[in-house]
This record gives sequence, structure tokens and C-alpha cells, in this order.
Amino acid sequence: MTEILRIHNLHKVFPGKRRRDRPVVAIGDVDLDVSAGEFISIVGPSGCGKSTLLYIIGGFLKSSSGVVEFNGAPITGPAPARGIVFQAYGLFPWKTVLGNVEAGVATRGLPRAARRQEARRFLDIVGLSDVERLYPSALSGGMQQRVAIARTLAQDPELLLMDEPFGALDAQTRAQLQTELLDIWELSHKTVVFVTHSVEEAIFLSDRVIVLGHRPSIVREVIHIPVPRPRLRETVLEHPEYPALNRRVWDLLEAPAC
Amino acid sequence: MLTLDRRQVVLGLLGVAVLGVIWQLATTHVTRMTTFPNTLEAGGAALAQLVDPEFWRQLRVSGFRWACGLGLAVGIGVPIGLVMGRHRRVHAVVDPLLTAMYPIPKASLILLFVLLWGAGNGARIVAIATGAIIPVIVSSYHGAAGVEERLLWSGRSLGWRAGRSMLSVVFPAALPQILNGIRIAISISIFVLVGSELLVRGSGIGNYLFNFYDVGQNSKVWGTALALAIVGWLLDSAYVAVVRLATPWMDGQV
Repeated sequence: MTEILRIHNLHKVFPGKRRRDRPVVAIGDVDLDVSAGEFISIVGPSGCGKSTLLYIIGGFLKSSSGVVEFNGAPITGPAPARGIVFQAYGLFPWKTVLGNVEAGVATRGLPRAARRQEARRFLDIVGLSDVERLYPSALSGGMQQRVAIARTLAQDPELLLMDEPFGALDAQTRAQLQTELLDIWELSHKTVVFVTHSVEEAIFLSDRVIVLGHRPSIVREVIHIPVPRPRLRETVLEHPEYPALNRRVWDLLEAPAC
Repeated sequence: MLTLDRRQVVLGLLGVAVLGVIWQLATTHVTRMTTFPNTLEAGGAALAQLVDPEFWRQLRVSGFRWACGLGLAVGIGVPIGLVMGRHRRVHAVVDPLLTAMYPIPKASLILLFVLLWGAGNGARIVAIATGAIIPVIVSSYHGAAGVEERLLWSGRSLGWRAGRSMLSVVFPAALPQILNGIRIAISISIFVLVGSELLVRGSGIGNYLFNFYDVGQNSKVWGTALALAIVGWLLDSAYVAVVRLATPWMDGQV
């Protein structure tokens, strides 16, 4: 298995806003290796730096110290190869649904006619072909997130970063999109790093669950999810190890700061 | 959407009508100023102006100056404001200059510019531009400064560097504010235009209006002023209509 992402001794400090404020250590010391084709989740208590970690992998923030390498090379900034899906505000409100997805396709350098066709293909994958002419503000939250996923997939990234993409949605839409995400993922088997607050979501979706501790965060534990794929919600919930896994992650999250 | 507009038009006319009634009553029953026209006289004079070819001839002369001044203000002001919004150092340099200019009546700058460039259109256009550029810069600045970070990051994730981000993310994201700023600039620039044509006469609608004042034809002064106000209102309405057509995603934010 090729290692696509290598993080070693990652440390991130944010300086205080005003001169007399203390600096905030967002990430203490994190090690993480991700192999190609893996689906991993990062969970942790609020404020533990899981989104910060994702943004560093994405190249939007710089690490304070430590090694962050993508395909063997240090990450210096954002790139289409590491696509990101935000929880909200990721779509361009002035572009139509199709226009947004086309922006993703455009990173691949195809001629204009092929670009439109490709964009339609990705919209079809997320089941939103009939709304291509609408603007994002006309869509529901769930539909907007589907478009965001379509746009990022259209970039054909090697690494898919997801920052609590379903966090702002109601429980049913959330469950639906989780299943859809897995269906899409099964087609392409991209490497996914998924940040979430939801333990159930993390266990359902991932091969491994990375549990971070309180700020300044370290990796408390890496939990392997032995449920075979493709996964149905019932097979996960009814798997004999599920209760123990669920319990283990919650215990780690609720443990007091060291 | 259309029915709402009709109701708004009716309410708007109602407001104007109430003002007209108050004005009429005030001039006929409260004061005894014979030189101040009542609503009916002023309204009649306004209509007389609107059908007078001389009014439109002078309006064309002024209109040219106004359009050039506004165009200059938008063309220069929007980029300055956008860059100010994304680069703190630029903001730090330009902002004191702007605030220093606030209290200066821009129309009076025409006197200075005339010394530099003579009484032709050039000086007038620059005076109008100076007045119009401030709301344009300020609104563009706020629009650019308030762009959602995740939109910028989305652009960078698509491989867009600073220049491309400015055009493809900052500018469209700031557009509601920019367009609102331009709307304000339209009104301010008309104000500066008429004011500058009082101070430096010769030609134009301001000069035309003040000629009536000089000879004491007060109803014609008010008539011209009202006619100008109507033209200004039509311009503003046309601007809003064009903006709404051109920016369907903004859903009536302007």
C-alpha cells in the first residue's frame, strides 16, 4: 500500500490576536499516515484542532513545525490534487449549479465542450441533473452539499478532504448523504480524510478512526473498523464488534484532558 | 414579484402625494411668501420643463460630464477598493486620504480644478469623479474585506492564484456592496454636478437652473429642480432594474 499522506510530529500554534494574548496551541504533536484508497475519519472533542489539521493537509494553513508530506513532497499550499469539501459556504453563489461543477472540471484542462459534458456527468452521479440551471441559494442544504461534493470530485483529486460536510444537515438527510458518499466512493476508491463530530458517522464510513485528544492535541488512538465493504447501515450497526467500537471511541472522547 | 412592485409604486406615489398636499397647504395657508410657488405651480413648471427642448439640451451637456465623471470614479474606485479590502497595507495608506476628503464639499473642488485645467469639461468631470469615487471605494473595500474565507479557499483549491482569485472570487463576492456603492455614487455625482455648475457657470443644467434664479423666476427654478429630481429618480430606477437583470443570483439585494 502506497503512503499518500505522511504527517509526523505536527505542531501548530496560533499567535494571540492582540499583543498581550497568549498563543493558542491548536495541535500538540500529531502523527498520521494514510495509504492510497483508504477512508479515514478524524474525531475529537470540540476545539481539538481536527479542522485545523485538515486545513494544514489542504495547504490553507501552514504548520508551525513537523513533517506534512503528500506523495513524498512537503505541502506548501492548496492544489487541485487535494480537493476539499467544506461544511458550508464552499459553493460560489454567483455561479449556477452547473457552473460550480464546471469550475471543478476546469482544473483538468479539457476543451470547453468536454468540460460541460463532464460536469453534467458528475451532477448525474449526485442525482442533481435537473437543477443544473439553479443558483445555490435556491437549493436545500443537502442539495448544496451534493453539489459541493460533485464539484470537488470533478477536480479528480487524489485526496478528498471533507470538513464535517454533513454537520449542518438534519439527521435523515445526513444518513442519506453518508450512504450516497459511500456509493460514490466505492466507484473510485479515492483516499478520503473525513473530519466529523459524529462517532456513528465515523465508524460507519471509515476504515480507520483517528481519535484526537483535547487541545493541545495528540492522537489518542487509531481504531481499525473491521466491517467488510461494501457497507450497509444495518450490517455496520448489527456487526458484533460495533457496540465495543462505539463505546471505545466515546470513552476516548469523554476522557478528561491529560 | 410583479405584484409586490405595483404595491411599492402605489405606496411611493402616496408618499409623494402627501408631501405635495402638505407643501400646497403650507404655501397657501401658513406662509405668505408670494415668491414661493405652491405644489400645483411647481408641478406645472416641472412638466413645462420636461417638454422644453432647451432643458434637454442642457441636460445632455451635463449628462456627458456626469457619465464621464461617474465612469472614471467606478473604473478607478472599484479596483482601489478591492485591493484595499484584501491588502491591509494598501488600506493603511489610502484610508487617511479618504477620510481627509470627507468633509470637503466636492462641488467646491471645481474652483481648484478650473485653475488647473480651465473651465472646460475636463475640470468638471474630475470634480464629479472626486465626489463619486468615495462611496465606490468605501463600498468596494467593505465588499472585498467581507468575503467569506471558505470561498477564497475554494478558489485556491481549484488552483487559482492571487490575481485570478481577485477577479473570480473577490469581485463577484463583493458585487452586492459594489453595486450599492455605485447607486449612492449616482446620487452624489448628480449633486456635485449641479453644485459645480453653480460655482462655474457657462453651460449645463445647473447653470440653466441658476439663470432663472438670477432673474427671480422662482417657479421655473423649482420647476427645473423638480424636473431634475424626476430624471434622477428615473435614472436610479433604471439602474436598479438593469442590476437585477444582470445579477440573477443576488435576488434583489440591490
